[in-house]
Amino acid sequence: MKSISLYVEKGSWLNKLHPYTKLLYILTAIMIPLTGGKLWLFPVMIVSSLILLLSGKIIKRALPLVGFSFTLIVVIFLIQGLFNHDNETVLFSIGWITFYKEGTLFATRIGCNILNMLLAFGVFVLTTSPQDLVDELEKSGFSPKFGYVINSVFQILPQMMATKDTITDAQRSRGMETDGNLLVRMKAFLPLISPVVMSSLINTRERAIALDVRGFGRKQKKTWLYDRPKYKWDPVARIILVALMIITIVWRVL
Amino acid sequence: MGKIFKTKLTTATIVLIPACIGINYLGKLFASLLKLPLWLDSIGTCIGACLGGPVIGAICGAANNLIYGLTTGDNITLIYAITSLGIGLVVGILARMGFMKTFPKSFICALGGGLAAVCISTPLNILFWGGTTGNVWGDALFAATQASGMSVGLGSFLDEIVVDVPDKIITIIIVYLIVKGLPKKLTALYDVNAETERLD
Amino acid sequence: MSMIMIENLKYKYPGTDHLALDGISLSIEKGEFIGIIGQNGAGKSTLCQAMVGLVPQFYHGAYGGAVRVKERLAEQVPVQELCEDVGLIFQNPFNQLSGARDTVYGEVAFGLQNLGIEREEMKSRIEKVLKQLDIWQYRDRNPFDLSGGQMQRVAIASILVMQPEVMILDEPTSQLDPEGTEEVFRVVDQLSKTGKTIIMVEQKLEKMAKYCDRLILMQAGKVVDFDTPEKIFARDDLNEIGIQLPAFVRISKQCGLSNPDGTHPVTLESMIALYEQQSDKENLPQKLKPEMKQTVRTQSSKELFRMEDISFSYQKHVPVLDHLNLSFDQRTTAIIGQNGAGKTTLVRLLKGLLKPVSGTVYFGGEDISKKTVAMLAGKVGYVFQNPDDQIFKYNVLDEVMFGPLNIGMSQEEAKEKAEKALEMMGLSGKEKENPYDLEMYERKMVAIASVVAMDTDVVILDEPTIAQDYPGKKRIGDMIASLAENGKLVIAILHDMDFVAERFERVIVMAHGTILADGTSEEVFAQDAILKEARLQKPYMTQLMERFARK
Repeated sequence: MKSISLYVEKGSWLNKLHPYTKLLYILTAIMIPLTGGKLWLFPVMIVSSLILLLSGKIIKRALPLVGFSFTLIVVIFLIQGLFNHDNETVLFSIGWITFYKEGTLFATRIGCNILNMLLAFGVFVLTTSPQDLVDELEKSGFSPKFGYVINSVFQILPQMMATKDTITDAQRSRGMETDGNLLVRMKAFLPLISPVVMSSLINTRERAIALDVRGFGRKQKKTWLYDRPKYKWDPVARIILVALMIITIVWRVL
Repeated sequence: MGKIFKTKLTTATIVLIPACIGINYLGKLFASLLKLPLWLDSIGTCIGACLGGPVIGAICGAANNLIYGLTTGDNITLIYAITSLGIGLVVGILARMGFMKTFPKSFICALGGGLAAVCISTPLNILFWGGTTGNVWGDALFAATQASGMSVGLGSFLDEIVVDVPDKIITIIIVYLIVKGLPKKLTALYDVNAETERLD
Repeated sequence: MSMIMIENLKYKYPGTDHLALDGISLSIEKGEFIGIIGQNGAGKSTLCQAMVGLVPQFYHGAYGGAVRVKERLAEQVPVQELCEDVGLIFQNPFNQLSGARDTVYGEVAFGLQNLGIEREEMKSRIEKVLKQLDIWQYRDRNPFDLSGGQMQRVAIASILVMQPEVMILDEPTSQLDPEGTEEVFRVVDQLSKTGKTIIMVEQKLEKMAKYCDRLILMQAGKVVDFDTPEKIFARDDLNEIGIQLPAFVRISKQCGLSNPDGTHPVTLESMIALYEQQSDKENLPQKLKPEMKQTVRTQSSKELFRMEDISFSYQKHVPVLDHLNLSFDQRTTAIIGQNGAGKTTLVRLLKGLLKPVSGTVYFGGEDISKKTVAMLAGKVGYVFQNPDDQIFKYNVLDEVMFGPLNIGMSQEEAKEKAEKALEMMGLSGKEKENPYDLEMYERKMVAIASVVAMDTDVVILDEPTIAQDYPGKKRIGDMIASLAENGKLVIAILHDMDFVAERFERVIVMAHGTILADGTSEEVFAQDAILKEARLQKPYMTQLMERFARK
C-alpha cells in the first residue's frame, strides 16, 4: 500500500531524535531570521537545514518539496518586482518591463522565508513517523481521540484513493461521459463524489462500532507497546536550539 | 448560542473527522481529474460541519491542513489551517442556524463560508507572500490592481474573492445536494440531542 | 447463572416506525455454540448488537425490556466496558480494522492498549492469539494489505485477545471468497472447542448445522423457534420463513432418510452414517437424479466475444493474464476461482475498462479497442461488486434510470425499463425510497437493476450473490434465467459453488491468470485435480454424490 506520509526510515540520527526536538528545530529555524531581522540570517538557516537533510541522507527527497513553491516564488518576484508600491530604484529593464530594487528585495525576503520554512519542515517530515509522533503526543497527555484522527488519516486515505478508479469505471460503465465541454465535466462531478461520500460515511458507522467494541474512548489510562529509546543527543540539541533563540532575541533587543 | 456549539465527542463523530479529511482530498482529486477550474477541496470539511456542528467542522478543517502540512511537507497548506478552521466553523454555525435546510438558504451559507475564507486568507497572503494567492486568475487580477496603484490590502482582498468565493459557492451546493440525500440512520448518529426512549 | 439473558426485548431504530426486535426472550448458557438464522431483515444483526450494548447506546432509538450479560445490563454498562465480557465481529473485514495501526501486531494490540493491559501481558497474549489463528507470520504486515480471509482473522484475533467470555460473529464470511471462508471456519472450529460461548449469524446453513448446539430462528424481529439444528430443520414452514434447507437435509428429506424421532440428518457425516444403517442402499442415488439440473446447451451458435492471445499486467513483468484465448457464446457462464486468479481483470477487458497489453478482444466480430467505454455502455452492462461505488441518486427509480438515459433512451422508455428491472429484482414499491436507507443486500439489487434496465446484449455480474439470503439468491438466479431466455449473454464471477452448479450452463475455472477448465458444471466439478489447483470446493450435491458412489 502506498503511504501518503513522506517519512523514510534511514536509521539516521535524525530518525532517532525525538519528534519534539525536531518540532523545536522548525520553530527555531523560522523564528531566528524573522526576529533577527537581517536578510543574511535566512541563508544561514537554509544552509543549516540543508546540512541536516544531508546528514540524514534525505536531501534527494527534500528537493520535490522545494519544487512545490517554485511557481509561487516566481509569481511573487514578478508582481513585487514590477508593481510593489515602494518601487523607486530601477534594478534592470527588459524591453518595456522594468524591475525595481525595492520590490525585488521584498520578494527575496519572502522567497527566502518560504524556502527556509519548507526545508525546516522537511527535516521534520522526512524523518518522523506519524505513528511515533502520535504516540509521543498521547504519552504527554494529548487526547487519544485526536491521536486516532491523525493515525487513521494515514490508513484510511489510501483506501479511499483506491476507490477513485472503481467509481469512475462504474459510472463510465453506465454510459457517463467524463470528457467533453465544461458542462459535461461539471455534471460528472456529483456522480463521482457522491458514492465516495456515502460509502465513506457508511464505513464510518461500522468503524465506530469496531472501535467501541475494542474499548476505544474508555476513561482509563492507556498502555503502550513500546517505549521510545532515550537518545543522548535529544537534551543537547534542545539546549542548543533554545540557546540560539534566546541569543537572537537578546541580540535584537540590544 | 450554547445550543449552536453543542458537540458530543462520541466515537462516531471522532471517526467522522478522518473520513471528512479523505473526502476533501478526493474532491480535489476528482476536480483535477475532470479538469474543473475549481479546487473543491473543502467538501469534507463542510459535510463535517453540517453533520457534527461548528466545533467538528472547525476540527475537520484545521486537522485537514495540519495533517497534510506536517506529513507531505507542503507547509503552504499548513498556514491555511486557520482558514479551513474558519470555514468549518462558519459553515457549522450557519448550518445549525438552519441555512442548509433549503436550496436558496444554502447560498447564504455558501457566502458565509466564502467570506470567512477571504477574510482569514487575505491577511495571511499579505503576511507570507506579499498578497498573492498562487492562483493564476486571482494573481493576474492582483497584478493589475497593483499596477493601477490600488493598496496591497484591497488588491489582495479582490484576488482572494475571485479565487475563493465561486469555489465555496459550488462546494456548498454540492454539500447541500449530498447532505440532503443522507439516510436518517446515518444522520441520527450525529444528532447531539438523541436520547434513547423507553418502550415499556 | 446464564451467560446472556434477554427478557422481552423490543427495539426501534430512530426515524423508523416498525420494531426491529419485537418481544424477544431467551437465555444462553456458558459454553454453548448458538446460531442465529433468518432472512435478511429479520433482526439478526440488531439482536447481536443488542447483546454488546450498541443497541441502544450507539444508535439510540426506542428500547424496551432487558439484556443481561453476566448479570450486567447491556443498556447501561458502556459498550467500552461491556466489551471485556462480550466481543463482536461483523461482515466487512476492512471496516473492522481500527485504521490507526500499520502492522497486524499493532492492530491486535489496539484493544489491549485501551483496556490498559500491562506491556508484558499484552505481548504474550498477542503472540498466543496470532499463533492460534495462524497469522503470526503476518505480524509486521500492514493489515490493509492482507486478503479478506486474513483480514477477518486479524479482526477475530483483535477481539479474542481481549479475552471476552462470549464471542459474537455476525456473518463473518459473507464477504469472503471460498478460501477466506474456509480459513475463518477453521478458526471458528477451533473456537468451538475452547469452551467459549459463541453466537454466530450465518447464511451458510450447512456450516451452521455442523457447529451449532442450538439455533435461534428469527422472522420479522421475533424469535420463531430456539432448538437443535435437527429440530429446526425438520420444521415444515421454513420455506415461508425464507430459509432454504441445508443441502443434506433437503436430500435426506427427498429420499426419505430420517432419524427415529422424525428429524433429518443435518450434516454429510450424519447422513452417511444413517444411510449405512438403511437396507435399500441401491435406491438412493437414483432418487437423487431429479435434483440435478434442467437441460443445458453445450454450445450455442452465436459467438459474442472472442479474446485472441490476450495478455495483461498491471505492473511490468507481473503478468495477470498470459496469452489467453477464449470465446463467449450465449450460454450463461460462471467464472470461478480464488481472489487474485484474474477473474475481474478478464471481465474488465471484455467491458473495455482495461486495455490488453497485447492481443485483441472482439465483440460481435468488431475489435473493441477502437471503441470507448461509453460507446460500449449500450451493448455490455457491468454490475460492480460494491453497489456503493455507483449509487448517487436520492431515489431508487432515478438511480436505475441514470444508465438508460445516458445511453440515449427517452424518458418514457427509461422509466419503463427501470420499472421492469426493479420488479425483476423484487424492488417494486421501493422506487421512491432513498437507496441509502435500504440495506446492503437491497442496494446490491438496485445496482443490478440499474444495469439490467440498460437492456444490454451482455450483462456481466461481479459476485452478485454476496450478502444475499435464499430468496435473494433465488431472485438473482431467476433474473439470469430470464435474461438468457431473451437471448442475452450473462457472465458472472461467483464464489457460491452450489449456485453455480444449479444455475449456469457453462463454468470456467481460473487460477493464476490461466483457464484450468471450461465446460458444463458436471464436467468441471468432476475434475478433482483442477479444483484442488484452483483451491475450490465442490458443491455439496457433488460431494454427496461422490460419497455415495464410493460406497
